Amino acid sequence: METCIDVVGMTKRYGALEAVRDVSFSVAAGEIFGLLGPNGAGKTTTIECILGLRQTDAGAITIGGIDAISHPEQAKERVGAQLQAATLQDKITPREALGFYASFYRQPARIEDLIERFGLREKADAPFISLSGGQKQRLFLALAFVNNPSLVVLDEPTAGLDPQSRRELHRIIRELRAAGRTVLVSTHHIEEAEALCDRIGIMDGGCLVAVASPAELIARAKAPSHVTVKTAHAIDPVALRALVGVVDVQPLDNGWNLGTTEVRQTVVELMRLLETSRNDLLDLQIFRPTLEDVFIELTGRKWARAVEEVQS
Amino acid sequence: MIQTNHLRGLIRHFLLTLQLNFRSKQAIAYGYLMPVIFLLAFGSIFQSDTPPLWHQMGQLLTISILGGACFGLPTALVAERERGVWRRYRLLPVSIGGLVAGTLLARLIIIALALVLQIGLARAIYGTPFPVNPVQAAVAFLVVAFAFLGLGLLVTALANDVPAVQALGQCIFLPMIMIGGVGVPLAVLPLWVQRVAGFMPGRYAVEVLQHSVSDPHGLRDAGFGLVALLVIGMAAGVAGISLFRWDTARHIGRAARTGIMLALISWAAVGVVALSTGQLKPVLPANTAWETITEAQIGQITYGNLPGDNELVTRLAPPFRTQAVPAHLAEFVANLHAWKPGHLENVGQSVRNLVYVATIADVSEDSHEGEIARAVYNELLASFDHDDLRRALAWVVLNPDEGAVINLVPELGLFRRPPKPVIRNRNPLFAQKFLGRLQGKLSD
Repeated sequence: METCIDVVGMTKRYGALEAVRDVSFSVAAGEIFGLLGPNGAGKTTTIECILGLRQTDAGAITIGGIDAISHPEQAKERVGAQLQAATLQDKITPREALGFYASFYRQPARIEDLIERFGLREKADAPFISLSGGQKQRLFLALAFVNNPSLVVLDEPTAGLDPQSRRELHRIIRELRAAGRTVLVSTHHIEEAEALCDRIGIMDGGCLVAVASPAELIARAKAPSHVTVKTAHAIDPVALRALVGVVDVQPLDNGWNLGTTEVRQTVVELMRLLETSRNDLLDLQIFRPTLEDVFIELTGRKWARAVEEVQS
Repeated sequence: MIQTNHLRGLIRHFLLTLQLNFRSKQAIAYGYLMPVIFLLAFGSIFQSDTPPLWHQMGQLLTISILGGACFGLPTALVAERERGVWRRYRLLPVSIGGLVAGTLLARLIIIALALVLQIGLARAIYGTPFPVNPVQAAVAFLVVAFAFLGLGLLVTALANDVPAVQALGQCIFLPMIMIGGVGVPLAVLPLWVQRVAGFMPGRYAVEVLQHSVSDPHGLRDAGFGLVALLVIGMAAGVAGISLFRWDTARHIGRAARTGIMLALISWAAVGVVALSTGQLKPVLPANTAWETITEAQIGQITYGNLPGDNELVTRLAPPFRTQAVPAHLAEFVANLHAWKPGHLENVGQSVRNLVYVATIADVSEDSHEGEIARAVYNELLASFDHDDLRRALAWVVLNPDEGAVINLVPELGLFRRPPKPVIRNRNPLFAQKFLGRLQGKLSD
């Protein structure tokens, strides 16, 4: 598959602080690639280096075959981006903003198409300051398309959005993939990365600690899955420990939490056990390892603690 | 070579900057209402001048350019930078320099419109004449704007946020307003402050604009001011562009000090050159009251109560016996004849200044005080028309508190510095003695 972004050995320092250290990854054309990590992990710095907003201290960045470090303006022709902490002037209208930004490119998109596609028709001639949060976010996203880019870079695009706007944004990003665009998206929402991305690069402390599809990352997890079961009558925990794959048994209210490395077989044998003991099943739930578990395994820290550490 | 689409974008950026400025009530109030308020304030003071406000237009226009360039420009740019607008610009496939140039050009037009408004309203309200040479006025505006926009760019680079713009802007604005000849006229400032003003661009801005507005010769005599402004603008502009930040998060650290030093060195260099080449002539009040002194006023002056010529106060030596100056006074007389404050365009102030020399020697109890007074009288007779001298001396007698006061003339060998009030009080006595002799009412 054709490579859209190729980052090799990228390092970025701010004085003594190494914000990004020896990061390498590739993104295939038409892929949604997510950079996942807590705030301060180096995602934004990585994206800003790719976009030419920061000069790297080491490494190479290629976008669509163009060396983005030595030919930034050529690379910028092909990239659309939505940045964190970048707004517009209060009095500018969406139509003006789109027309203005589009005017710099060789192959600009049609402004009316963008207005229609991103649901900005109603507010196309209203000042930016009067737009709602969701409308502003849609405008920022539309601005990323003014040059008909082959690569769209979105830095924390759902930060601060309400659930409805977030779902809408996810829909738009999936449409991009369907239209053959490449999307590089950073997020600190694990569920978002899992639901949206074809592949994920997990970042922590300025390093890229893993790159794979969400399913592959979860499959690599060493943490057991969990099966919770609630029954009409009590079950002997010794019988539960004897089930195939079960590595841990913990009591719950009216039931048990079974840690298992073989979810399917554990559930099949559990059903047989209940049938032979004429016990009725009230509830059964399966919890597989998540990307958070993967993150804990890779970094030795809980996700929430990582976020707190950065915030403090 | 710039691509067509890039050029199209830069033009659009320039037009958009103008459009957004005129949509902002704050920008309109600051950019246009304030200049009108300044015009009305100046007008209320100078509307009775002839012609009204004519000789204050240099100051008025300088204040507007200074405000637009050193406050308006950095406030807009820093506010946009804080919002991340310039981060977004940075994603565009053009250099940031082109966008900065577009912003500067838009600001130039915003300021120019404010000046056109002021000139038009001054004409409509007070009857102030239009600039005698509009083309030269435009050149003067461009040069002054170049200097102040350079400073505005430097403020933009140095300020981390909008409040910092206000603080830095005031550091430039207030000294120029108060002691730089922009707000308070140079003519009412002491001579040492006038020299300090020579180290600030405001003084040259006012001079250049005033020449272009009211001098029939236009900018012919404003060459030094034009060069000074170009040097100051170039230094600040180079520093401002090299330190320009498109992102608030980018810190400039030590480079900031280098930028400030570069700008200040240009101010100092201009001031030193101006001082050493005699460009900083004392600016005296445009007061021509001495010309309005009437014969009746001269006639009312009496000479009966004057101290004698050999008394302690206002000693005046008899005329030198021969035509030749006594040897021990030769150098003093030569220096007095070349002494610039005694030979200004303003006859009244020149006469007043020469009489001060006699008064300083008298109050200082110089061993040659009487001879110095005589030498001053001889210099007055030699340098001025008889009738002008009569009226100028009468003006000094009748208006001891008008004009500038000088109380130290080491260049003439008088090194004591008597208090100014004493000099002011005694000066009319010498003027009276000289006037009496000039009219034959006192004998030597």
